[in-house]
Amino acid sequence: MERGGFHGYRKLSVNNTTPSPPGLAANFLMAEGSMRPPEFNQPNKTSNGGEEECTVREQDRFMPIANVIRIMRRILPAHAKISDDSKETIQECVSEYISFITGEANERCQREQRKTITAEDVLWAMSKLGFDDYIEPLTLYLHRYRELEGERGVSCSAGSVSMTNGLVVKRPNGTMTEYGAYGPVPGIHMAQYHYRHQNGFVFSGNEPNSKMSGSSSGASGARVEVFPTQQHKY
Amino acid sequence: MDNNNNNNNQQPPPTSVYPPGSAVTTVIPPPPSGSASIVTGGGATYHHLLQQQQQQLQMFWTYQRQEIEQVNDFKNHQLPLARIKKIMKADEDVRMISAEAPILFAKACELFILELTIRSWLHAEENKRRTLQKNDIAAAITRTDIFDFLVDIVPREEIKEEEDAASALGGGGMVAPAASGVPYYYPPMGQPAVPGGMMIGRPAMDPSGVYAQPPSQAWQSVWQNSAGGGDDVSYGSGGSSGHGNLDSQG
Repeated sequence: MERGGFHGYRKLSVNNTTPSPPGLAANFLMAEGSMRPPEFNQPNKTSNGGEEECTVREQDRFMPIANVIRIMRRILPAHAKISDDSKETIQECVSEYISFITGEANERCQREQRKTITAEDVLWAMSKLGFDDYIEPLTLYLHRYRELEGERGVSCSAGSVSMTNGLVVKRPNGTMTEYGAYGPVPGIHMAQYHYRHQNGFVFSGNEPNSKMSGSSSGASGARVEVFPTQQHKY
Repeated sequence: MDNNNNNNNQQPPPTSVYPPGSAVTTVIPPPPSGSASIVTGGGATYHHLLQQQQQQLQMFWTYQRQEIEQVNDFKNHQLPLARIKKIMKADEDVRMISAEAPILFAKACELFILELTIRSWLHAEENKRRTLQKNDIAAAITRTDIFDFLVDIVPREEIKEEEDAASALGGGGMVAPAASGVPYYYPPMGQPAVPGGMMIGRPAMDPSGVYAQPPSQAWQSVWQNSAGGGDDVSYGSGGSSGHGNLDSQG
């Protein structure tokens, strides 16, 4: 499971220059819980992957660069080019954004003596931190998610649980496509087709496979009964 | 193959109808993007450019709302949920995360990447470049209030690089006037500039139509996407195949 997942990152290792074996201990530690921890900011200033203590740590800290580039290209004209340092900079900005919002959302949770960060907490944090333009589209997105996932019944809900426990379930739905894109599945050279469906209702040939696997993963996820407990395991 | 052809044959559609440069142009900040508004004493040309940029950003948000209304698959995200969760968990104070939070973040990060990219690209266009560079991102960060938390990610050299670019343009273009707008965002790193001195070069740039044309190109992909589902799929895939920069292809 872990190896399979990390095998999918092999191509990304090239960007970081220094490949190294995977390990759960790769999660980097942060002494402070502030919104912008100094320890987190410091590594970001070093854009060279080779200088990092552990490549796994670097990879875990950022979104996959291929996904980031794909999203960037959606808004750029066809003739636009993206320099390598700007790709890395956007990667760092995304991680910083997640930590920034999460820190604010978590503070609210603690004030209200709750342990679980909810989607509402995330939206509240964005609003407080000035990302007002994001609230309406994301609220709409969340509502559509709830109505569509709810309509699909128990298996879909289980799939949702599976996504939460990304490291527990062998093939989490959330990273299925990612695994398929970089894993040992032969012949898949144009995995980027997977992501185009969000702009329309036309799916590529790879989509059915992904859905089937998703269903299987959902089925296995159905066995998870105690939701909060699974959170702890993560 | 069809994807590549479609990508190559795409025509830039008329993306916006903007009024010709006028001394009477006034920038009225729309409420939804209040945080991105700039009130500056710059010249008419600069106002015109700002108006265009704000229009583009407004179209961006309108398009995002329309796109989300058509979402029907929440299993295949643009960004891996497990990775998002790891980054959230990097903060040791964070204990439990509901299932919906990473899903919401996946979409939020998409919007964030798109907004940051388009704001950066606008800066590249001002410098008449077709390559998005780190200093374009630095400029977007310094110009946008809500991106203040990112100032540490782009070192000061990038900001200096922007200033050098302004000097290289001989005082022309929109870089310096943009810098004069920075004080309104109260960024940690100030960029002292003399707006008056930079105004001289502006009228000469506008008649050439340089700024009238490039912004419209920036929205080719958006309007291609909104044209239809099939076209969108083809374009997206074709675009990916056509650019060797994609690391996943390497």
